[in-house]
Amino acid sequence: MNRRVVITGMGAITPLGVDEETSWQNILAGKCGINRITALDTTDYKALNGAEVNNELLSVAMKARQINSTSDRTVDFAMAAAAEALEKSRLRNTDPAVETEMAVILGTGIGCNHSFFNAVNTYITKGVKGVRPTSVPRIMSNAISSQISMRFRLNGPNYVIISACASATTAIGVAYRMIKEGNIDMVLTGGTDAVFEPLVYAGWNQLGVISCNPVPEKSCRPFDAGRDGCVLGEGAGILILESLESAQLRNVPIRGEICGFGESSDALHITRPSPEGQARAIRNALKSADMKPASIGFINAHGTATKANDECESKSIRLAMEDETDRIPVASNKSYFGHMLGASGAVETITTVIGLEKGIVPANLNLDNPDPLCNLCFVGKEPMRIESPVAIKNSFGFGGNNAVLILRRYKE
Amino acid sequence: MTQQEIIEKLRTMMRKSSQAQVNWDSVNADSAIASLGFDSLSILDLVYDIQQEFGFEFEAEELVGVKTVGQLATFLEKKQK
Repeated sequence: MNRRVVITGMGAITPLGVDEETSWQNILAGKCGINRITALDTTDYKALNGAEVNNELLSVAMKARQINSTSDRTVDFAMAAAAEALEKSRLRNTDPAVETEMAVILGTGIGCNHSFFNAVNTYITKGVKGVRPTSVPRIMSNAISSQISMRFRLNGPNYVIISACASATTAIGVAYRMIKEGNIDMVLTGGTDAVFEPLVYAGWNQLGVISCNPVPEKSCRPFDAGRDGCVLGEGAGILILESLESAQLRNVPIRGEICGFGESSDALHITRPSPEGQARAIRNALKSADMKPASIGFINAHGTATKANDECESKSIRLAMEDETDRIPVASNKSYFGHMLGASGAVETITTVIGLEKGIVPANLNLDNPDPLCNLCFVGKEPMRIESPVAIKNSFGFGGNNAVLILRRYKE
Repeated sequence: MTQQEIIEKLRTMMRKSSQAQVNWDSVNADSAIASLGFDSLSILDLVYDIQQEFGFEFEAEELVGVKTVGQLATFLEKKQK
């Protein structure tokens, strides 16, 4: 079976808005969601900047979408974005007795971080009896997909894919294959992460890959010669994927199409990326879409703003796109809302889909002086009009996990 | 702590650990706990929250026969003493 896979609903909880439209409008307007971290006492930290979701806006959005908090931020982000995506796709079920045949395939990098930290903290301070009896079902990463499956009565398979920063893109790719191959007609997919918890963020702080730039809005500088590391962000992105036949039968608006997915492993190092491994994932995606580099009109890069990633990704794009490289505009969205880890691939897929839909892609914020070692054709400091209907979304994770999607503006 | 004060505290804790859509403002001493969206798992959370809040331990089995919010408050009042 080889069915077309379309997108009929999207939802986003980002540092720039608690819905996809607001997040998109703010990115297009050049607003930056990075500021000083407020969720943590950062006294002993050197990495002080982060892109946080506004708690008040999140709370209002959850109430409006009738979502009760699960007390875990990672799950709450996903639930709130899922409600938006289902509503947009006209699939929000208000009758709890009615089930919908839909799979839930989500990505996360860190998982239910808040619940994990709480359990560790109470164990250390109060001992075994201090640990909450429901810690296990709160901590397990698949609580994210399970809670969504239960809340919205989605009875297809549900599970979580963990491939670090490639998690959401891998999840979307797996969801795409499930529909393409005829396993199921609809999948709720995407990714979520909430990283600003003391334990895990301390680990990131110590890893030495986070920017120490004193000016928050200037701190995340993908592909710029002055970049000094990534800035973390939090949030969720959710997409409803559907077979074209199913979407047409339901007569719902189609936002875009996924037409290829490629993945690979570097098989070399736990954190250092490899151009060959990444290029293989891009080539695999092109092959899956039955396309050549000449078909690609835009690349939404992984672009984390670490020295290693941006240099490596520039090489991998050149390896895979060959002579077409100097023609294809490249941009990273991470200067707007930081690196949202397991959510980044989903939110950046959403911005790419909207970009193709509207024929415009956001600017490369903070790319003042492109690094000569990142020799690509970059989108400039203003949003750029694009005619081409096809784009690539790259995501590469620690562990040598590479995932690439090919996205297309929908045309019958 | 008076029984009314205990009920107020219980209402706040129950609101947190129940996933059901309940009009919590109308919950009173006569409200049946079973009608507030608790099952065998979420009741563990409630027992845990009560123990943390009130600072004493008890087993969930001790709550056999406790059906209403008022009966739970009476149980806690006795335990307190």
